[in-house]
Amino acid sequence: MAFEPKRPQKKINYEEIRLYSDAELNSTTEEELKNFKIKHDIPMCEDLEKGPWPSFVADAKQGALHRRKLADGRVLIPRDVIEDLLGQLELSFVHGETHWKHGGIVGVFGYGGGVIGRYSDLQEEYPAIAHFHTVRVNQPASKFYDTDFLKGLADLWEYRGSGLLNLHGSTGDLVLLGTITDQLEPLFQEMAHVLDTDLGGSGSNLRTPSCCIGKARCEYACYDTQAMCYEMTMHYQDELHRPAFPYKFKFKFDGCPNGCVASIARSDIAFIGTWRDDIRIDQNAVQGYIAGEYAPNAGAHKGRDWGKFDIQKEVIDLCPTGCMSLEGGKLVIDNANCTRCMHCINTMPRALRPGTDTGISMLFGAKAPILEGAQMSTLVIPFIKAEPPYDNIKEVIEKVFEWWMEEGKNRERLGETVQRVGLPKFLEILEVPAAPQMVKEPRSNPYIFWKEEDVPGGFQRDINEFRKRHKR
Amino acid sequence: MEELKSAIIEFLEGGKTKTKFYFKDIEKAVKQKIPEAKTLQIKKACSALINDGTLIYFSTGSTTMYGLKGRGITEDH
Ligand code: SF4
Ligand code: SF4
Repeated sequence: MAFEPKRPQKKINYEEIRLYSDAELNSTTEEELKNFKIKHDIPMCEDLEKGPWPSFVADAKQGALHRRKLADGRVLIPRDVIEDLLGQLELSFVHGETHWKHGGIVGVFGYGGGVIGRYSDLQEEYPAIAHFHTVRVNQPASKFYDTDFLKGLADLWEYRGSGLLNLHGSTGDLVLLGTITDQLEPLFQEMAHVLDTDLGGSGSNLRTPSCCIGKARCEYACYDTQAMCYEMTMHYQDELHRPAFPYKFKFKFDGCPNGCVASIARSDIAFIGTWRDDIRIDQNAVQGYIAGEYAPNAGAHKGRDWGKFDIQKEVIDLCPTGCMSLEGGKLVIDNANCTRCMHCINTMPRALRPGTDTGISMLFGAKAPILEGAQMSTLVIPFIKAEPPYDNIKEVIEKVFEWWMEEGKNRERLGETVQRVGLPKFLEILEVPAAPQMVKEPRSNPYIFWKEEDVPGGFQRDINEFRKRHKR
Repeated sequence: MEELKSAIIEFLEGGKTKTKFYFKDIEKAVKQKIPEAKTLQIKKACSALINDGTLIYFSTGSTTMYGLKGRGITEDH
């Protein structure tokens, strides 16, 4: 089914919405930057510029110089915001502790997420960053940008904010760093009505869903990740903007098990494209690879001479389940034992392709916190069809939301709740039967227990009857 | 809805030193008072109170709490 947006999409023309002239945008030279000193002494920050890598300090200084050159009235928040930011950062390095206060009110009317209040605890020393709120902007599907949009956003942010951005935060949003409270509403109005975009998620809500490039460019995609990401973003607006979850909740959409948005490692629900029929094999192309006519991995590793391609060593022996073989020169796959790891397909994309009966696997409970306790997700639904309007999948999602809102503790991610109550309980909630594959190995995680009603005769026994047959 | 709203306000006003609360704590308190209340209805009532300016959101970026406007840190400082 062709993709249909829920409302007409707006064409953005930078020339119509631009706020700065070319002369204003290109006002700094390399020479000036080299000699530029901000108003605070920042030797430790400047030390960071010396490494071989690009430095955010150098970028920030360029931003600071740029803002100094803009005429009065061309920026709506203090023009030295970046200079005070670097000054306070230097002091934080000296003190070994942060000078941001913890938390704050959230800025835009009716929204519980998307704006993160930040306040300096040294407002007299660094008045330009007394408020330094962060704004998260919902990224377009697969981060496909239009340069008119990006330039428009950059202008808007220079005008109403610090001009500093972070593309992208780990959830995927565009992160606009630093503005004052009074600018939040007007900024949001322009973002929504001129740039036709929305805030992303933050706090205890559904975070901005993100997806891989999927069918837009990738032949491995087993479903339309962009369409599904868009549908779920639109459908769960209330969960995205009005936080009432125990903690954050992430959706990520990978079109195939290659997992380009790493859903398996970082989302509370990972949607991973898969297929339930057989891998499609073009035996002629297999022969082509064996004969060296095609570069393996579509030439991705050809920067070095790896010697002649060896299908046995490089494909068959590396299949994690050992389900491939060459029989009479033909490649054979025992599909029932294939785990859809993608290795053989990635190596010989001309010869092998995912099957045609495609859908997704749903995995639950990953998290990748900054400090501790990273956790991979657990496969619970091996296969489900993924076609618009995805009602079958929404049904599963809603069961999870309802249960976790009830059962989850404050600041507990889904994966932690499942771990605390045990997987059998979670399977029960989702009405999914336990499968042998869910047991990692016998007796190491025996979390599938019998229930009394499943055992003929229950757990009661007549001890006298038993003793007749078994001596003490 | 009105009953839920007043139960929420009553709970938030009752906090002695605390001025910000997790949704779960609000939910628990409301359900104690009105056992038949559903989580989704409580969320809707909270959103309505946000929209009419009675409540405000408070967030660290990772978690979100609710508070009564005018109590504790609610204005800019
Ligand atoms: S996850 Fe798979 S479908 Fe998506 S971009 Fe990566 S390889 Fe392609
Ligand atoms: S996808 Fe992986 S598991 Fe399946 S046949 Fe290929 S290498 Fe083996």
